[in-house]
This record gives sequence, structure tokens and C-alpha cells, in this order.
Amino acid sequence: MPSNRPGSSGETPKKKPSAATAKKKSSSQRFTERQEAKQRAAQEARRARTRTYGIVAIALVVLVVAVLVIVKVAGGGSGSGTVDQASPPAGTPIPAATLAKLQSVPVSTLAAAPTDGIVSTPQSVNGQALTADGKPELLYIGAEFCPHCAAQRWPLYIALSKFGTFSPEPGRIHSANLDGDVPTFTFYGTKYSSPYLTFTPVEVYTNKPQGNGYAPLQTPTQAQLTLWQDTNGGSFPFVDFGGKTVLPSAQYLFTPLQNLPFSAVAAQVGNNSTAIGAVIDASAAQLISTICGSMSHDQPAAVCSAAHSG
Amino acid sequence: MPRWPGVVGTVACVAGLGVAGYLTYEHFTSSTTLACSDNGVVNCLKVTTSSYSAVAGVPVAVLGLVFFAVMLVLQLPPVWRRPEPAIRIGRLAWAVVGLGTVLYLLYAELFSIDAICLWCTAVHVLTLLLFGTTVYATSAYPVHGDPVPGEGDE
Repeated sequence: MPSNRPGSSGETPKKKPSAATAKKKSSSQRFTERQEAKQRAAQEARRARTRTYGIVAIALVVLVVAVLVIVKVAGGGSGSGTVDQASPPAGTPIPAATLAKLQSVPVSTLAAAPTDGIVSTPQSVNGQALTADGKPELLYIGAEFCPHCAAQRWPLYIALSKFGTFSPEPGRIHSANLDGDVPTFTFYGTKYSSPYLTFTPVEVYTNKPQGNGYAPLQTPTQAQLTLWQDTNGGSFPFVDFGGKTVLPSAQYLFTPLQNLPFSAVAAQVGNNSTAIGAVIDASAAQLISTICGSMSHDQPAAVCSAAHSG
Repeated sequence: MPRWPGVVGTVACVAGLGVAGYLTYEHFTSSTTLACSDNGVVNCLKVTTSSYSAVAGVPVAVLGLVFFAVMLVLQLPPVWRRPEPAIRIGRLAWAVVGLGTVLYLLYAELFSIDAICLWCTAVHVLTLLLFGTTVYATSAYPVHGDPVPGEGDE
């Protein structure tokens, strides 16, 4: 840059600055460079600090996970400390008064239950008629370990009790998962008699752990297996109402029943003011209506008319 | 901003979506075909049907799907290059939400359910990986609008 000093007027501008200008410029540049260096250092320090915080956060998380695993492996703080106890395959006997109470809930009460908790309903199918002993066959395929099946057995037992009788009656069991224990019946070892239909329960597994799964209990026939696989892919539970209607999965979620005693659930059946009572009642009403429409030709009339009127 | 956080995050989210999707499918099909061994400590069915498998009636597997779906958007490489603080903080906050959920579920598995679900563990590892990469990349690489003087890579 040319010099603006007074003494330089009229002179040809020189490309090379004077010594004083160069000295001043050099001083200014050094100042700027120092400032930039300071700024860069400050930002580097800030970035390093932030990065350190990040690394510390990650290390803390790793530490927490490691501590949890170590405490567990060392045997400390073992939750409930209980073991998963399997029920006898045929269950524990249920008091006759409890069974009588379940059997005697009026169909009108069941039909009046709100259906808010229902998540799966019986569906019509164009299947081959399913019969056994000259009557329409109600095929149930489940497993004792399965909590969904545990939930489904409550309304199924109540519904079936409107069309016939069990002898021997179902025993009391629970599904296999300790933390998801669902009190229920088992249909294994029962015998059902009805003038309207034949009930064929197949409990494929117990709730007793064995190897990579559960100890087998009953083996479906090839025809049952094919029907089950073709209809819902082999999921538990599966209910087929004479080949005309199927229930591909449990009617309601089992979670509200978890860890409750059998008696606590039984006490709520017929009481539509409780969530558990309402969902079991509503499910039973749907099953009764389905049996009336698909299997029993609306017999017994008192049962089916009450179910349909709901 | 280097490319690796976006690439690692995207791959982890896609894998997480796959596993969470499988667990969701199993949840709604009674978990009968859940491919997992059962040798006592490892018992997927026991975990996925436990009371901890749903929060306020919403299956945890579905929550996992939502987590990875949202995180996938936040982890895409073009999104990582965006300098907006809202995106950076949002991604970090979402990673912290995932971390909190994982720690809670891990505690539940170890001390309440007394069983480990391998599929769930895969989800936990992926979530921890996402937390680690998100925290590190967010803290180690400054935003575009705040370049370090003299640096040419910003």
C-alpha cells in the first residue's frame, strides 16, 4: 500500500512499505494473530471440555450397566428370589362353591357387560364342518404355560357351563411365567358333556419348563394341527366353533389378571363394575352368542335369547 | 462433521427397527413362535409376557418401534449435518430417553423378572450404541456456525 505520509507527496508510490509502516503493520498483524490464537485456544479448550463431558457421560452409563450385571452375577439383590413353580398338569381342585358361582352368572348379566376391553372377537370362516360324536365340535388348542390361554379359559369355561357340564371339573393352574402369573383353569383331564356340542380341549404343553420350552402334554391330531396352522399359524390359543367360526387369539389382554389369586379373579366374574369382571363377562357373552349361532341352533332357548338380547 | 455418526446411527436404527418389529409381531401373536432358547436365565417368553412388557397398556415392543423410527430420522447423515441446535438437542434428548428406558428394563430383567431376553438385549445394545455415538459426536464436533478459527474442515 502507498504511504500517506505528508513528506511523500509527489513521489511515485512504492510497493515496498517504509520501515515504520512495515513495523506498524507487523505489530497489527501480530496482535490479530495473537487474538486469533487466543480465540482458537479458547474454542479448542471448550471443545475439549465438551468432549470430555460426553466421554464421561458414556463411561458413567457403561459403569452403571456393568454394576447392574456384576451385582446380579454376584447374587445380590435377586428380585423375589422365588422360582417358577409348575402346577400339576391337571391342576389343583377348585372349591365347588367357586365353580357353582362361575356357572350361575346370569346370561343377561354377561350380555350387559361393556365390551371396552375386548381385543379379539370370533370370526366367521368357510371351513369344513367340524363334528365329533355326531355333534358340532368346539375345538380348543392352548397350553398351560401360555398367559393368553389362561385369560381365555375364564370366559370359555363360563360359556361352556351354559351348554353342558364338566365332570371332572377343571383344576386350577397358573401360566408359567413367574412375573406374569395368570390364574386360570386347565382343561387337561376334564370331560365335558352337552346335548348340543362336543368340546375337545387340547393343552399342548404344561407350564413346566423343559429344555428350550415346556414339557409337552397333549398332542393334536394331524387334522387338528393342520386346521390350527392354517387358521392362525399355530398361535395359542385357538378356538374353532364347529368349523363355522374361529377365535384366532385371546379375546382380552391377560395383564390385569397377573399375580392375582384365583379366588380374586373368580370373585369379580359377574360383576360388571370391575374391569376384570366386565371383560370376562363380555367375552363369555360373545362366546355364548357364537355357540348359539354356530353350533347349538339357538338352544337352550333361554340361554341364547338372553345372549342375543344383550 | 465427519460421516461416521450418521452412518453408524442409521445402521443401528435400521437394525433396531427390525428387532423391535419382530418383538412387536410376537407380542400380538401370543409369542408362540418367539425364537429364543429357554435355559432359565435366558427366557424370552418370560420377559415378553411379563408385567414389564407394557407401559400404560402400550407394549414395550411398540414403544421400541416408535423410538427407533424417530431416531432413524434424527440419525440420517443429512440430518447430522444440519446445524440447528433444536435438532442436535432433540437427538441428544431422544437418546437419553432411550437410555433411561433401557436401564429401567435392564433392571427389571435382572432383578424383578429374573430372566434375560436375548432379543430385548439386542435392542438394549443398539440403544446404548446410539446413545454413545450421539453423545460423543454431539460433544466432540461443534456446530457449523461456531467454527474454530483456522480450521478448514468446518
